[in-house]
Amino acid sequence: MIAVELSKMFRRPRTWVTIGLLNGLPVLVAVLLALTDLAPRPGEGPPFLSAVLTNGTLYPLAALAIVLPLFLPIAVALIAGDAVAGEAQAGTLRYLLARPAGRTRLLVAKLVSVFAFVLVTVLVVAAVGYLVGQVFFEVQPLGGTALSGTSLTPAQIAGRTVLSIGYVTVSMLGVAAFALFFSTLTDSPLAAMIGALAVLIASSLLFTLDAASSIAPYLPTRYWLAFVDFFRDPILWRDIVRGLALQAVYVAVLLGAAWANFATKDITS
Amino acid sequence: MTAAVIATQGLVKRYGQVRAVDGIDLDVRAGDVYGFLGANGSGKTTTVRMLLGLVLPTSGEVQLLGERMPKAARRVLPRVGALIESPAAYGHLSGRANLTLLDAAGPGGSRRTRRPRVDEVLEQVGLAGVGRRPVKAYSLGMRQRLGLAGALLRRPELLVLDEPTNGLDPQGIHEVRDLLLELHRAGTTVFLSSHLLAEVEQLCSRVGVLDRGRLVLQDDLATLTAPTGATVVETPDPQRVRAALDGRVLSTDGVRAIVRGADPAEVNAALVAAGVPVTGLALQRPSLEEVVLAAAGGSADRVDGTEGRTRR
Amino acid sequence: MVAAVAVLLALPALIGALPASDAGTSAPDLRDRALASSDVAFTGYAQAAGGLTLPVGDQLTSVADLLSDRTTMRAWYRAPDDWRVDVVSATGETGVHRDASGTWTWRYEDDVASRAAALPLSLPTAPDLLPSVLGRRLLSEAADGELSRLGAERVAGRDALGLRITPSDAAASVSRVDVWVDAESGIPLGVQVSGGQTGGGEPAVDTSFLSLDLVTPAASVTAFTPPPGADVRRDQQQADLLDTGRQYAAVQLPATLAGLPGRAVDGTPGAVGVYGRGVTLLAVSVLPGRAASPLRDTLVVAPGAVVDDLGVRIAAGPLGLMLVDNGNRGTWLLAGTVDLDALATAAAELPAPPRRGDR
Repeated sequence: MIAVELSKMFRRPRTWVTIGLLNGLPVLVAVLLALTDLAPRPGEGPPFLSAVLTNGTLYPLAALAIVLPLFLPIAVALIAGDAVAGEAQAGTLRYLLARPAGRTRLLVAKLVSVFAFVLVTVLVVAAVGYLVGQVFFEVQPLGGTALSGTSLTPAQIAGRTVLSIGYVTVSMLGVAAFALFFSTLTDSPLAAMIGALAVLIASSLLFTLDAASSIAPYLPTRYWLAFVDFFRDPILWRDIVRGLALQAVYVAVLLGAAWANFATKDITS
Repeated sequence: MTAAVIATQGLVKRYGQVRAVDGIDLDVRAGDVYGFLGANGSGKTTTVRMLLGLVLPTSGEVQLLGERMPKAARRVLPRVGALIESPAAYGHLSGRANLTLLDAAGPGGSRRTRRPRVDEVLEQVGLAGVGRRPVKAYSLGMRQRLGLAGALLRRPELLVLDEPTNGLDPQGIHEVRDLLLELHRAGTTVFLSSHLLAEVEQLCSRVGVLDRGRLVLQDDLATLTAPTGATVVETPDPQRVRAALDGRVLSTDGVRAIVRGADPAEVNAALVAAGVPVTGLALQRPSLEEVVLAAAGGSADRVDGTEGRTRR
Repeated sequence: MVAAVAVLLALPALIGALPASDAGTSAPDLRDRALASSDVAFTGYAQAAGGLTLPVGDQLTSVADLLSDRTTMRAWYRAPDDWRVDVVSATGETGVHRDASGTWTWRYEDDVASRAAALPLSLPTAPDLLPSVLGRRLLSEAADGELSRLGAERVAGRDALGLRITPSDAAASVSRVDVWVDAESGIPLGVQVSGGQTGGGEPAVDTSFLSLDLVTPAASVTAFTPPPGADVRRDQQQADLLDTGRQYAAVQLPATLAGLPGRAVDGTPGAVGVYGRGVTLLAVSVLPGRAASPLRDTLVVAPGAVVDDLGVRIAAGPLGLMLVDNGNRGTWLLAGTVDLDALATAAAELPAPPRRGDR
């Protein structure tokens, strides 16, 4: 079943178009930076972007930071929102369930395939970022400078980049869980995606409000940027650990809700 | 009595205040070609979905192939092929890829025999030559054939088909009918949900009629259309029949008279003796249409007066 | 579901409300313990929130940001002259590394490492907002009579004993300072400074550790070597301050201002005077013209500014700021935790600034 879902997703042209478009922005930014040699003013723009002109090795991180606030969640919400609602809209859901695929198994398979999409997407962004960084910018083989001003060896940079990629992936799982939950509520994949994005936008907005500070630690986007903390020296684990725990809670609660809803739902599509 | 393939007891589905399905007791036996008739909105689709475990009944029981649904879905459904409302497939994939994925998505389809089985059903429904063309380029009829192929994929004991000839041209309808009869001869029980009386009349051995959520009729087609005990006399002059067989004529119209008496030979002799020209003689049998109309009320699409039934 | 969310929301409050033990220490004893804690090494994570909006425009933005924003800090403390405080932002950080002879300040966003000598007087920076540093500084001159106990609370998951300073000076604009002292080590874990017109009773400055471990950080963590390729410079603001002081070295400042006694601070340039005691302090300095006029332009139009014959003065929470113009002879800048009346009194007592280069 999982193999079926994976095959369905990765044989779908839209999946790759989404990933391709997602990579468009970081590539465009890289080309513009390389042509103009104008780095963003320090402290502005996405993290790491001001550093890539001197060290292209950091471009995978800059690329992730560029797509993280908006593009990546949209892509994840698109695919995850489509997971169940898309099948319902196309009418294939009833055939899958009458096959019988088993509702829980189908949901688990959808979940795994959405998670696989998140991972592949993040990896592709990082890989494209790496290539772009190597091609357009000066590369310093010496490793790089941590945010804290200490020098990191290439091995440290590589290790921390891998950790960051993992962390961003986990952050996106929360988005996926929201979209998947909404996807079991509606027969419209668009509604599921917009629902998930609405949650994220609301979360980002509340995060900036002092009045909402009591709920700020529970906002799904609260710790998204904590992947930057891997590049402090020593690594600042506090927000990273909280971010992971928070995403785990969101994923567990939402998947539980998705399962409870989907397992007893009348399929009338 | 043969084993029940589909049996429901007091099956009810309520949406809010509306009882879409209101206490039906289906009885479909092995070897039947069961025609499940009902106007649009009478609750056919909801019933079919409850049989397959897609919609959960508000109350009542469903037994499919002797096992309780939806609890035993995982054991039972692989032995059932279904075409539910319109066919559906992934548009970007070929028909073959769609069937392969569908087969892999559930239990009961051995991976080893998947390729030959897919080839076989494509052959059966007449799509063998369609190649790698994606489904989005299929015509409506081709999609219908593909849906039927999906239902046949595991050589099911029971076929549940909802409007299987929808979108097919007359030639296609004929092919599908032949295919179903062939499968039936091979031992498959067919549950055919339709609003087309003619289709059911031609194919089915048993008929159930659903009207506004209630099963108003369920019997063998032969019983329903059994002779009524009257004879139909075709004649250019029905009034003379009335004169000749005074008291036995039930009704007349321009070219026909209905005469009480289940023996056409006797009626004929009497009429010939009276010198009435007879151009045709037959036992009176009710048509399925008459039976259905007599059992069911108006179309469920009609919204009369206060009741205001709204159905999807 | 709703209940679960409610429990989650209440969690920090619940943990915060866990019973803290009040050791029954007297206020002066607690102050002494806090002051003696400067040798206790720790590793911590703190957040400071300033509610002060300083209308200083482009001048002194770093100080203004410090007093109006939320500042998140990581701290590693080995000894009074061996520590490191990183101000962490979403996209970078600014680290201050203290060693025996001064500080390195590393700004990641600018790729700049700047070196400053250790001076008794300098502009406030983020490390000054660390609860341990701020708490000890504010407690250092608190008289026994100004102190009272507040009970106990949980701060950074540790038992903290409360101590309140209520300044006795007439000129004081700070109404009270609450310091929460770690029961185990004496390190101030949280400091709230209240006073002036900050709405809603919110403290003007509120800084607390969110976590604190009494483990000695490795020396390699607090040490700093400018990374290759970084821009290494001398601290410009400090250089400015020193230059100003030298230019106006000959000025004679009065012994008291607005009733506050002058105090000697070693290494202070001659044109900078510091008055007062404890949490009531007033600093006076001569501003070079190029700094004074844009600052005055900003202050004059700031809401709540008082402009009269003496000059322009404004209060931001407990912080008062005043510019006294003396035409082409330069400008006095008065700043401190005193009220506006005290600023006016002080301005009247100041002599005209000396001419530039008068030595």
